[in-house]
Amino acid sequence: MNELTLGALYGAATLVVMFSGMPIAFALGVVATSFMYFFMPASSLDTITQNVYEEMASITLLSIPLFILKGAAIGKSPAGKDLYSAIHTWLHKIPGGLGIANVFACALFAAMAGSSPATCSAIGAAGIPEMRRRGYSPGFAAGIIAAGGTLGILLPPSITMILYAVAAEQSLGRLFLAGIGPGILLVALFAGYAVYRARKEYRLALAIYEGGGEKSPYLEDEHFTLRQKVEMLPRVLPFIILLIGVMVALYGGLATPSETAGLGALLALVLIAIVYGVWRPKDLSPILSATIKESTMLLLIIGMSLLYSYVMSYLHISQAAANWVVGMHLSKWLLLAVILLMVIVFGFFLPPVSIILMTAPIILPPLKAAGFDLIWFGIVMTVVMEMGLIHPPVGLNLFVIKNIAPDIPLKDVIWGVVPFVLLMFFAVLLLCVFPGISTLLPDLIMGVK
Amino acid sequence: MSHGFDLQPQAGAGPAVPDNAALAAVSALLDKLNRALVKLSMLALIMTALVLTYSVVSRYFFSAPTDWQDEASVFMLVGVTFFCTASVQSYRGHIGIEALASLLPRRVNAVRLFFVDLVSLLFCAFFAWKSWTLFYEAWSEGQTTSSTFAPPLWIPYSMMAAGMSLLAIQLLVQTLARATNKKEAS
Repeated sequence: MNELTLGALYGAATLVVMFSGMPIAFALGVVATSFMYFFMPASSLDTITQNVYEEMASITLLSIPLFILKGAAIGKSPAGKDLYSAIHTWLHKIPGGLGIANVFACALFAAMAGSSPATCSAIGAAGIPEMRRRGYSPGFAAGIIAAGGTLGILLPPSITMILYAVAAEQSLGRLFLAGIGPGILLVALFAGYAVYRARKEYRLALAIYEGGGEKSPYLEDEHFTLRQKVEMLPRVLPFIILLIGVMVALYGGLATPSETAGLGALLALVLIAIVYGVWRPKDLSPILSATIKESTMLLLIIGMSLLYSYVMSYLHISQAAANWVVGMHLSKWLLLAVILLMVIVFGFFLPPVSIILMTAPIILPPLKAAGFDLIWFGIVMTVVMEMGLIHPPVGLNLFVIKNIAPDIPLKDVIWGVVPFVLLMFFAVLLLCVFPGISTLLPDLIMGVK
Repeated sequence: MSHGFDLQPQAGAGPAVPDNAALAAVSALLDKLNRALVKLSMLALIMTALVLTYSVVSRYFFSAPTDWQDEASVFMLVGVTFFCTASVQSYRGHIGIEALASLLPRRVNAVRLFFVDLVSLLFCAFFAWKSWTLFYEAWSEGQTTSSTFAPPLWIPYSMMAAGMSLLAIQLLVQTLARATNKKEAS
């Protein structure tokens, strides 16, 4: 059997087993082990556990639970609500300021917590009711939060990027920095749209009122005294300091990425203890148990994905598939388009961690051969996977929104999200035309590669 | 599809109880063991954060670099991952693609779920068995990691073997429960 036929068989077997509903981690392990049994030397089955252990026992990968712990510590405290309220008191004068406050709060929270669903639920829980109370349409309010939440895997630290750095053998520090520019770009695009849409809804509300209709809360004035504004700061500043401190530790050369994860987790726990009095075992238990639940699930998928790629590489499937893609002689940008389309389709079914580890050995060699910078591609791929988090049918953030605002019909949430998906698509185009948006910052700080 | 993130924290919610009395007793015992291991893992997680912070502090403020912190952290986090995997399985927290569930007739779906559990069980049992042989080799040959600190490799291997064995037992209970439950679980 030639390698491509074997590859097609491998892919088909994976689809069948995954769609049987078997947990992704076990499904990947079952397919990999079966192919080892049928197509590899008998002795390879004896080393299966050693393979999994050796691939997993990397301090970079194993720092993931600590990043999750930091996110959970901040996410399960009232920090999200305070952050959102503080930004709102300062920005409420700007037209659409409430929408902007939500986007900013999502971005800042994402940069601290590193997880999209955590960001969505922490900021959305306070932000969605407030936006609706102030007259924003439910779909618009939901769209802002769903889209703002996706910044979680783009702004550092991001678990998705840790995996990409490992799979593509790229510098994690550089990759983290490369996400900042596009993150700011998306924040600007989302905020710009929030202003546009809020003004449109404002004018509509005004027209209805002037025509003798009901007075929408949009038309009410809101006022905060300087004292109120200043009083909001002490609760937020510690978290901003944490955010900056961790970045300085990482880029100032004080700590490795894994040490940063440990330091960040510990500081987050200390901060919630000081600011919110969350320190008793009873208070900490839900934070730690949520962390363990999520990281165990993720790390088992990661371990088995690595075994899956090992088998794919041993049987020369990844190399043959990569050569096949190269052999199609697609133009540079068509190649990129085809690969990104594939990532979008995978995004319908799989979480970003599996997409990266399963596809990296196949898609990265052709991209490298076509002259793409793999750091830049990592960022583009991340933005595309972010779109997967909010587009139907399985966008995770849509379900988070459904959870925190159950009375908004899913149809409204989806329509509310569409403009943001388009904006993200626009951001991908901008990144293709101006790759410097992503690569300039790492080149400036760490030198040109 | 669920992604396994903690959207609705179910504080205190335990795993589904099998109808069969003997299975229910084993399941309750496993639940106790899982809870104890999760508590131990919580401590290990905090310890790891402390160890990594200590290494930054000791290197930066006391110019005393440590060489053991990465491996100690890896061992602890390998322990956390494998020790808690049975607990995650006990409430079916390992995510999968459930797109077919709503399309299949009820009986076919029940058969599907049974086979999914059975094949998962066979895989995890095989993995557990191979982990024990790996542990035995590392133990009898005195294998260590290749670093200067060189801790013995039987430590993480034993945690992997124990965790995967517990996961296999958990899956065995769940598979038997599917076969013996009077009412089909959804």
